[in-house]
Amino acid sequence: MLARKNIIAILLGIELILNASALNFVAYSKFLAGNMDGQIFSLFIIVVAAAEAAVGLAIVIRFYQINESIHIDDAAQLQG
Amino acid sequence: MFAQILFILSALLAVAGALMVVFSRDIMHACIYLLASLVGVAGLYLTLGADFLAATQLVVYVGGVIILMLFAIMLTGGGREPSEKMKLLMQVPLMGSPRTYVLSFLALLVLSLTVGKLFVRVMEGFTSVDKLPYMGTVDSIGTLLVTKHVLAFEISSVLLLGALVGAAVIARPNKKRGAK
Repeated sequence: MLARKNIIAILLGIELILNASALNFVAYSKFLAGNMDGQIFSLFIIVVAAAEAAVGLAIVIRFYQINESIHIDDAAQLQG
Repeated sequence: MFAQILFILSALLAVAGALMVVFSRDIMHACIYLLASLVGVAGLYLTLGADFLAATQLVVYVGGVIILMLFAIMLTGGGREPSEKMKLLMQVPLMGSPRTYVLSFLALLVLSLTVGKLFVRVMEGFTSVDKLPYMGTVDSIGTLLVTKHVLAFEISSVLLLGALVGAAVIARPNKKRGAK
């Protein structure tokens, strides 16, 4: 029910997880009075998530050009 | 009171949006629900006092990543065909799925509350004499970025350049395969 075989759906899930971790960093740094390191860290998480989304979606589009599908089971070219 | 309302609304939006991302079968709907969830997380950042992060979240995710995702979904064939029930609903003007209306209403509420709270705090800083002017987190984050965390800052610039070039190279149409 929860399993997704669409590559873009998997990327959506990754964005969700990265957001959850960033929110945790901010929430914990709130209770360390005057410490901004958590906020800096979640800023870098946002940077990494943006870069990841750009490259990931480029790979998805390239994959679709080659395979005419974005199903994860079709990505089996590296399987021996 | 205002902060509590903002917290409850944005927590509800974040959790409900995240659940709908996971459970909705249509990939396009999942992307829109992710948008609602990210707006909720921006509201949560604001209740935690991280105003710069809330603004960055709105600009980078809502303005960038989600649009990129929507374009990628549409370029790779889009979602599935609308169901019979949905086709019937779509004949009525302005009628969509009720869930979409509920979530988008919540998102609009949180967005306006977020902007309103920022505005009120800034205006309080300008108008009140006895209180200190409202200091955001921008100056301390900026100072930390170029002093304590300058190495991570520079590395992330290289990472972004690499991602830019890499995405352009990967998504470029292949000339040899172009004739196919």
